Amino acid sequence: METWFRRLSVAAATVAALAATPAVVAQDGDDVLGDIISPDLERREIRESQIDSENIEFSTFAGVINVEDFGSNALYGAALAYHINEDVFMEAAYGETELGESSFERLSGSAPLLTDEQRKLSFYNLSLAWNLFPGEYFVFGDWALNSSLYLIGGVGNTSFADEEHFTYNVGAGARVLANDWLAVRLDFRDHIFEHEIFGEAQTTHNLSAQLGVSFFF
Amino acid sequence: MLRVCSRFSVFCIALLLMCSGVSARSLAAPEEVPEGAELVTVGSPFVNIYTGPGRGYPIFHVAEYGEQLWLLKRRTDWVKVAAHRDKSGWVRVADLNEIYGEDGELVRVPLPDFSDVESQHFHLGFSYGDFAGANSMGATLGYRFTRNLSVELRATQAVGDFSDSQTYQLAVLHQPYPHWRLTPYFMLGTGINLTSPNATIVATSDRRDTAMLTGVGVKTYLSRRFALRAEYANHYLLTSRENNQEIVEWKLGFDVYL
Repeated sequence: METWFRRLSVAAATVAALAATPAVVAQDGDDVLGDIISPDLERREIRESQIDSENIEFSTFAGVINVEDFGSNALYGAALAYHINEDVFMEAAYGETELGESSFERLSGSAPLLTDEQRKLSFYNLSLAWNLFPGEYFVFGDWALNSSLYLIGGVGNTSFADEEHFTYNVGAGARVLANDWLAVRLDFRDHIFEHEIFGEAQTTHNLSAQLGVSFFF
Repeated sequence: MLRVCSRFSVFCIALLLMCSGVSARSLAAPEEVPEGAELVTVGSPFVNIYTGPGRGYPIFHVAEYGEQLWLLKRRTDWVKVAAHRDKSGWVRVADLNEIYGEDGELVRVPLPDFSDVESQHFHLGFSYGDFAGANSMGATLGYRFTRNLSVELRATQAVGDFSDSQTYQLAVLHQPYPHWRLTPYFMLGTGINLTSPNATIVATSDRRDTAMLTGVGVKTYLSRRFALRAEYANHYLLTSRENNQEIVEWKLGFDVYL
């Protein structure tokens, strides 16, 4: 009985609605529907902030590089890094050093293997680094310096003795920020390349340690 | 006794009011805010302020709902802000999704995003590859000017057993489906190839040739701003010798949306 009554009322309502709808539309649809549907809201205004970004880091460094068989020598260079996010940055670096005498030249006492011009070694590399351990360093009682320890690796080119040498580099470094835009960096890298200066091809591992100052802009 | 208590509570309230008066007076702009820093009001319940631009740095201050902040600069996904009482630190951009400007408008801190294919942007990439048997490394600087088309400046250096080469090219890239997560692209370009044979092996002079470049590749987005890229390219060198030379290059690299 109840079900029957419900059906009847639904049917009646449907008929009423069907009859009413064209009438409403015919009346003047825009006003009535407009009053019901259109929300009384103003469009939300959104503006993009004009904030400046500071993702580029320029650094200059000096240190020591040990080129296998040619001794440890002073290294100078510069690097430009782009910080992609808080974890990763990419870097292009350039460095120069002058090679010492090889042990072969010293022991044999013969004519030097390389001319002075050929002893100038320069390298550049393109690397990707991962800020593995961001945190703070605590210096004495008063200072808490923001820092990060990163792993870095990439490919590049080393040029000396009139030859180009494809070079892989891997290493780790620490960056300690003095303030928002100035940092001190300590880097240790292994530059791996193959050369044939002593007659046969040999893969060499050339370690460098460098201390640098960097600016963010 | 009761009277003493009520007197004491009145004294406490007076003290509180005095203190709040003091703090209200210190709500002036911090001294270190530069000219032109944007002033916004926090609309979310609170915003954490970190000592550095990264999740590893500690939270040392919290800006509450209704508090005013000055936006100073952005580094990666973090914004440096200055708050009252000379507190300044870093806030995650994602936490600044509800900040309001001086006229009550919602302020959004723009972040570059690969998925926003309609926007024009620069990208920078490094790559590593094989250039006809030689190891190669490259850098590219690109600009996307429509959703499908970008133009790229490409520089590659290859170091091989028999010769070293450098290539400098200008290329046009077409991405037919920029919305796909793994999106293919086609490339056409031109440039120059500088080849210097290794003097110890073959005694020839350096060559400089015009090259035509065709290529195909895929990009996949690992994060909002970081894409991995694999590419096959064919360099067709228009040499002054009898035959033109064809060089096949494979590359693996990454692109970053600037």
